Amino acid sequence: MTGMIEKLNSLLQKKKISCIELTQAYLNGIARDNGVLNAYVRVTEERALETAAVVDHKLAAGQILSPLEGIPMTLKDNISTRGVETTCCSKILQGYTPIYDASVWQTLKRQNAVLLGKTNMDEFAMGSSCETSCYGGAVNPFDIDCVAGGSSGGGAAAVAGNLAAYALGSDTGGSIRQPAGFCGLVGLKPTYGTVSRFGLIAYASSLDQIGPLCKSVADAALVFDAISCQDPMDSTSIGQKEPTWPQLTQKPEKLIIGIVKEYFKGVNPQIEKALQNAVHTYEKMGAEIVKLSMPAVSYALPVYYILACAEASSNLGRYDGIRYGYRTKHYNSVYEMICKTRSEGFGPEVQRRILLGSYVLSAGYYDAYYKKAQNLRGAVVQGFDEAFSRCDVILAPTVPATAFPKGFAAQDQVQTYQTDVCTVPVNIAGIPALSMPCGYDKKGLPIGMQLIANRFEEAKLLQIAYQFEQATDGEFYRKTKWGCCQYA
Amino acid sequence: MREYELIAGLETHIELSTKTKIFCSCTTAFGGEPNTHCCPICIGLPGTLPKLNRQAVRYGILAGLATNCKINPVSKMDRKNYVYPDLPKAYQVSQYDKPLCSDGYILLDSGRKIRLTRIHIEEDAGKLVHERGNSFVDYNRGGIPLIEIVTEPDFRSVDEVREYVEKLQLLMKYIGVSDCKMQEGSLRCDVNISVRPKGSLALGTRTEIKNMNSFAFMEQALEYEFERQVDLLESGEPVVQETLRYNDMTGETESMRSKEDAHDYRYFKEPDLVTICTSPEEIEQLRALLPELPDRKKARYLSMGIHEGGAAALIRSRKVAEFFDEAAKGLQTPQLAAAFIVGQMFSRYSTATQRDEWETPVTPSRLHELCVMVESGRCNRGLAKTTFEKMMDTGKGATAFLSADDLAEIDNNQLKKICQEVLAENVSAVQSYLGGKETALKALVGAVMRKTRGRANAAKAEQLLVDSLKKG
Amino acid sequence: MITEEEILEIAVLSKLYVPEEQLEQLTKDMAEILAFADTINTAGAQVEVYEGLDGLSNVFREDEVEQSYPIQEILQNVGGGENGYFPVHKSR
Repeated sequence: MTGMIEKLNSLLQKKKISCIELTQAYLNGIARDNGVLNAYVRVTEERALETAAVVDHKLAAGQILSPLEGIPMTLKDNISTRGVETTCCSKILQGYTPIYDASVWQTLKRQNAVLLGKTNMDEFAMGSSCETSCYGGAVNPFDIDCVAGGSSGGGAAAVAGNLAAYALGSDTGGSIRQPAGFCGLVGLKPTYGTVSRFGLIAYASSLDQIGPLCKSVADAALVFDAISCQDPMDSTSIGQKEPTWPQLTQKPEKLIIGIVKEYFKGVNPQIEKALQNAVHTYEKMGAEIVKLSMPAVSYALPVYYILACAEASSNLGRYDGIRYGYRTKHYNSVYEMICKTRSEGFGPEVQRRILLGSYVLSAGYYDAYYKKAQNLRGAVVQGFDEAFSRCDVILAPTVPATAFPKGFAAQDQVQTYQTDVCTVPVNIAGIPALSMPCGYDKKGLPIGMQLIANRFEEAKLLQIAYQFEQATDGEFYRKTKWGCCQYA
Repeated sequence: MREYELIAGLETHIELSTKTKIFCSCTTAFGGEPNTHCCPICIGLPGTLPKLNRQAVRYGILAGLATNCKINPVSKMDRKNYVYPDLPKAYQVSQYDKPLCSDGYILLDSGRKIRLTRIHIEEDAGKLVHERGNSFVDYNRGGIPLIEIVTEPDFRSVDEVREYVEKLQLLMKYIGVSDCKMQEGSLRCDVNISVRPKGSLALGTRTEIKNMNSFAFMEQALEYEFERQVDLLESGEPVVQETLRYNDMTGETESMRSKEDAHDYRYFKEPDLVTICTSPEEIEQLRALLPELPDRKKARYLSMGIHEGGAAALIRSRKVAEFFDEAAKGLQTPQLAAAFIVGQMFSRYSTATQRDEWETPVTPSRLHELCVMVESGRCNRGLAKTTFEKMMDTGKGATAFLSADDLAEIDNNQLKKICQEVLAENVSAVQSYLGGKETALKALVGAVMRKTRGRANAAKAEQLLVDSLKKG
Repeated sequence: MITEEEILEIAVLSKLYVPEEQLEQLTKDMAEILAFADTINTAGAQVEVYEGLDGLSNVFREDEVEQSYPIQEILQNVGGGENGYFPVHKSR
């Protein structure tokens, strides 16, 4: 069952390597390769080494480490870190240093997680390629002419580039799963409400969730167990049903896998092949395959963009330069100051989404767009409920394509939005989903398989994912050349 | 010249007297240096989330129960989006289509019913301060919980508006949800006003006058605006629907509208908060917490024989009224207790604040004791009055100042004897009286009272004196 | 089809400036995006308004005071502010 985190934990506990050495190895890798991969937008070397020293101290005293203790990791730059600049990779938050920690970071900090730095992302998590970042996009460690994906591209590039053991990203419409798919990683978007959003800089409040990007299913289970809880600071927080890691190796007695035909429309044939192979793998394990149809999937995308942009237009209203962040230099009135600050501080994609969001909420259009989208959201939830009455888990592509070339996404917004077709319905329904590698295309780019389960069924979901990993002997995890850590 | 009538509706914002803000645990204490009662949540730092104060919801429901509202079993919070420097999130969390309470009313003394459309809870904004062309913000008041009470356009006169606000203030103070101090900003009124020719049924175009923070300004503003609208209509001009501010320097209303005030609030359900469900059991539990409300108290006092002025004065402070209730319990003449309170205590505790706080060393039971003494005749009114002053000074009971002798009634024989003494000692007064001066009798009665140290029954003494004088 | 006037109105609501030279392209982009959003009208089935996942309700906080943040931290991101305030507009 050994995932990377467990392996590193064992090395530390057995004193095969000190935490400082381990951390330094990652830092060296970052120093050498981040210039190319652009995974990190901020490296917190001092902090990382300080924490590592604390862990080494504990080890010297003969103490037992908790599972994530001393493991070098990163946080997406929309997760608030007290005392460490947090920008959402936007000009408008340049220089903003939070005075509080996000709840998930508080939890991990208490366990002496070693924070290597903050990772790159699409500006305010709006994008599918990481290229709307004000720092430029993160590139794919499998092919640096391709993107790492978005919006958690930096986290994916860091883990796949061996520059961190795991990363925390956020997923609103696929932003953990898609980069995980593009970079050959395991990415988990948990059930809405299992991981606290307090401290996650909001994009779309009813869709956002924080989750792990890692190198194995076991790692995802460990991290999910550590970060999921009922947080009193988040009114929408419910917590998890049960820890997933202790039951990871359990084989579900009967496994029914659903294949939703709408998910396979327009999918690249190489991807389709890889997924068919995956289905065969499950069949060989004794799984039953059922064919399903979910018409709701076809309108989930516009529903997503309407709801997400509406909430975003409201969530991003606060960026006006008065309390933090960028403020325009020259203005003659408060009104002018606010408008110029925002127009200069936000990138074009963010501004487009704010405009769309304001539009669909405005008087006269609210019923036709926002209200209708809310109604359809209910239909999507119902669609999944029905599907899960007939199967345990849905198997689908993560993305209909492999990693796009750099610059592709900016050419055609709507076409790029379409690539979210497989991931978005999951956020609309608030259910958990995971992406894991199931093949590589002819160019050597990873192909992601998405497994989707019903609300609060992370344990089952991770078991089923784990079974695939075991059955294929981890063959689809390929290590890239980047990084300096021999254990990564 | 046609006659016009005034139509007005009110929106009143009342600060709830919870200890903490509506969405975070910062104190609501008044005053404090700017930005010292703040946290990441109430200054709207990115990533923060609200957590609804249970007490704010309770207070909102109590306000609804006290005003005969229906408490909605399912209620939700919504975002009202607009940009202004005193609003850190660029939206105010309020309630749009499913408020906490709806369809209540307040009865004016005339019997007119002012219908309340709704009561909802929301957060207050910070304070924008202007100084020599520069603007600054203080977020201490940002996040203070408010209830907004909206009426139908049921007001027909400025007096009715004033009476309503006074009654509302008193109600909210009674149920303990707010101290409703207009000058401190814990009660703010916006008035919608239109005019129409008397007899017409159509509603005229209305204007809104915002943020009037004193009764006087409110009345002046309404009177000015009424005249202004009448003048417009008389000269054939239309009334423009707009938002106005009352300029107390010029005594006029002026337009507040600016280009930036786009009024599309783009309401949608607040995704960071969950629905508020109130069960019938909870409603009854809260209803049981309501004290006897002022109007009911006043009616009861009137039926007890307290006169209008006294009753009105007593109910104006809940603590005073409850003090009276306790002191008057079981008395045959509760008016006595009222008289002590209104007559004497109110002279000593003369401000509204003093009467609200009602910090007095006298206890209701001690006042009750004194009243019983007067009722039974053991102590006459005059003596009781002076004794009560001493009681208010010290907090001690009447018996500390009255000896057994004082309380013993003077029997008729004793009284007759004293009257004879007084007549003998006050010859000139006797002569005056016999000469036709009626007032000289008062002097003689006074002398009897002094001789008996107030123990005599003044009426009896007067009668005896008159009888003696008549006899010659 | 969304018009340039409508874009400008929405921009005012959103507190964004749209420079003259970008208005035309932006209007085109927005029209395309809206056409995409309009595809929800092809959906037949409707459900009652979605109230929120799992029907969570009545999540409250007790009315107990906690220490506010020190003013230095509150004003940290505006360089300490001015006399304890957040400066909004300073006339030149």
